[in-house]
Amino acid sequence: MDHGRYAALFLSESREHIGACNQHLGLLERDPGSQEAVHALFRAMHTIKGMAAMMGYAHVTELAHRSENLLDLVRAGTVTADVALIRLLTEAVDELDRGIEEAATGHDQALDFSYVLERLDTLVGPESTGASPQAPGPASAPEPAPRRPRGDRSRPVRVTVRPGVMMPGARAALALNQASGLGEVTDVTPGAQEFQQEGFDGAFSFWIETDRADEVLEEAIRSVGDIDSVTIGDAARSQGPAAGGDAVQRAHNTIRVDLRRLDALMSHVGELVVARNRLVELAAGYAGTELEEVSGRINRLVNEVQAEVIATRMTPVWQVFDRFPRAVRDLARELGKQVSLTIEGGDIEVDRSLLDEIGDPILHLLRNAVDHGIEPGADRLQAGKPEEGRLVIRCSRERDSIVVIVEDDGRGIDRDVVLAKARETGVVDDEVEELTDALLLQVLGRSGFSTATKVTSVSGRGVGIDVVLTKIRALGGSAEIQSQVGRGTTFILRLPLTLVIFRALLARVCDERYVVPMAFVAETVEYNKATRAEVHGRDSLVLRDEVLATTDLRDIVGLDGADRSMRRPCVILEVGNRRSALLVDALIGQQEVVVEQFDPPSGMPRWVSGATILADGTPALILDAAALV
Amino acid sequence: MSHTVLVCDDAIFMRTMISDILTSAGFEVIGEAETGVQAVEKYQQLKPDLVTMDIVMPDMGGIDAVREICQGDPEAKVLMCSAMGQQALVVEAIQAGAKDFVVKPFQPSRVLEAVQRVLG
Repeated sequence: MDHGRYAALFLSESREHIGACNQHLGLLERDPGSQEAVHALFRAMHTIKGMAAMMGYAHVTELAHRSENLLDLVRAGTVTADVALIRLLTEAVDELDRGIEEAATGHDQALDFSYVLERLDTLVGPESTGASPQAPGPASAPEPAPRRPRGDRSRPVRVTVRPGVMMPGARAALALNQASGLGEVTDVTPGAQEFQQEGFDGAFSFWIETDRADEVLEEAIRSVGDIDSVTIGDAARSQGPAAGGDAVQRAHNTIRVDLRRLDALMSHVGELVVARNRLVELAAGYAGTELEEVSGRINRLVNEVQAEVIATRMTPVWQVFDRFPRAVRDLARELGKQVSLTIEGGDIEVDRSLLDEIGDPILHLLRNAVDHGIEPGADRLQAGKPEEGRLVIRCSRERDSIVVIVEDDGRGIDRDVVLAKARETGVVDDEVEELTDALLLQVLGRSGFSTATKVTSVSGRGVGIDVVLTKIRALGGSAEIQSQVGRGTTFILRLPLTLVIFRALLARVCDERYVVPMAFVAETVEYNKATRAEVHGRDSLVLRDEVLATTDLRDIVGLDGADRSMRRPCVILEVGNRRSALLVDALIGQQEVVVEQFDPPSGMPRWVSGATILADGTPALILDAAALV
Repeated sequence: MSHTVLVCDDAIFMRTMISDILTSAGFEVIGEAETGVQAVEKYQQLKPDLVTMDIVMPDMGGIDAVREICQGDPEAKVLMCSAMGQQALVVEAIQAGAKDFVVKPFQPSRVLEAVQRVLG
């Protein structure tokens, strides 16, 4: 292929279309209802897409494709051409304008349109291919309709298109046309309109009444190309779709599902779990009966349903994190700094609902790091660091939680400054002489606390780390901070894999029950004369070679009833590498807990992360393990 | 005798590329059209052995053009040039009488295979 000549043609013609786009955007601005403008924009995008695809310019193709999808929705009236949309389209056209110039000089690979693509997605849906999200086709070639043949000449036919080819539905339509040329075709299954759906897998069957021999019929059908198998006559009725080949190895067996459906399903499963818990508890009173047996069975089935539903909702974090590099780069450029962002563990999967929630807090930490953490290049060089600042996001799994570490190699937090400010505003007592990591986190977590001497456009006004920490806690997670002056700051966020249901340990103090997320429970042991010790004047528990400070849940929640027995159960909490021993009155057992959504009231104690309804219908508070270690 | 072809696409780029592919395989491109209306006119005027038809064009799209061409000449041999995500439109074009299709971006070999099938 004469690449240079085509590249020149691509460039000149694309420029023309960009010009037309700008002209029609102007028209659309004056008259947002202009169908003419929308159609012209759609055609221009479509043409640029086709040309770029032929040239192999993947990034330009993608941007044009998604802009076209959006315009298709506007054309169909699904999306309205308002001011925001026109502005977004203008931006897309500008990006495309830049992109075609870059691509034509061989730099398509280096293009990054993620910023504008992401916003197009919010209007179109991330995986739209421009097709309507209709019901998918069947997973296998359906049985021919079981109708009585009209005569000897009537035969069932089953056809599968070769897996993996483009547009199997169109190929099937061609095959059907060929068959129709030889006789009367009836009972097409699935209906011919199914062929238009993107999910259709190319397996179909029909009846045909014809004088022609089977071989002639088969040859005619195969003549359209890309046909995997053709089965005619009785075999088509009795054999599976794999009869003619390896069609079982289908290209795709996935379907697209509206996220709201999954949300509704998850919410029902949550209620089902609560009801199941109640049933199991009631049935425990009828040991050896049929009721107990049935409840045991329901128990197992609900567990399986729950696991499947959660698995369905799992999404790799890169789907949200992928927008961070661009945001960091833009911000750094704005501040005249050089910063690179690396994301590790982007394949770690979490529940979709959680993923949607953690994007903003993490972005906030990144912005903070670029704005306040990373020094200007000259300062870095002077400090013996590379000129380019380094930001790293590390994701990993830890038991039932996901750990997200946000790390910068900037100037670190100056504890003296924070301490002075904290004393001044009364956040800490005057006696406090040193800010430990834990105390630092507490101080930064106070609403509105900020040491920033000036308000920057980036990190905002008075909106600090506290917003992030509150959000993480509200999601049932925990945060840690490590900071060293001159070396940088690290935030360690621990979050549950799903927002809605988690496994918990139920503990009792006096007459009240509390919920401890299992994600933070290392083990349970007994606290007694033999295991207790006093270290530096603090009550402690000796566990193997380890001495753990104890916390009495009674003191935390402010309950004091009967005498404190010398022998008490103890929950070993573990948050990251910090461990402590939580004394309770009794351990009740483990249970699936469904988090109830509510807006935390102001003044909610730090040790509460949420609330739930227990199996017997009474509410209970969920403990924030991170606040207790 | 080489087969004659009418190439219909609103982009010069695509017309050039398709013409190059077909010409180098021994076909004779006897006409080009950049709108659906032109495609119908030129088909009637030139009676080519084969038509390549883009779907999205101004002044009557490719599907309506196929429908008109095939109504006038049921033996017309039209090859659709579609893009990803256009399956519903391609099926519609086939129901209107198109004989085969290729999907952009395509390899020259894919186009020639489809052309061979259409011409039998």
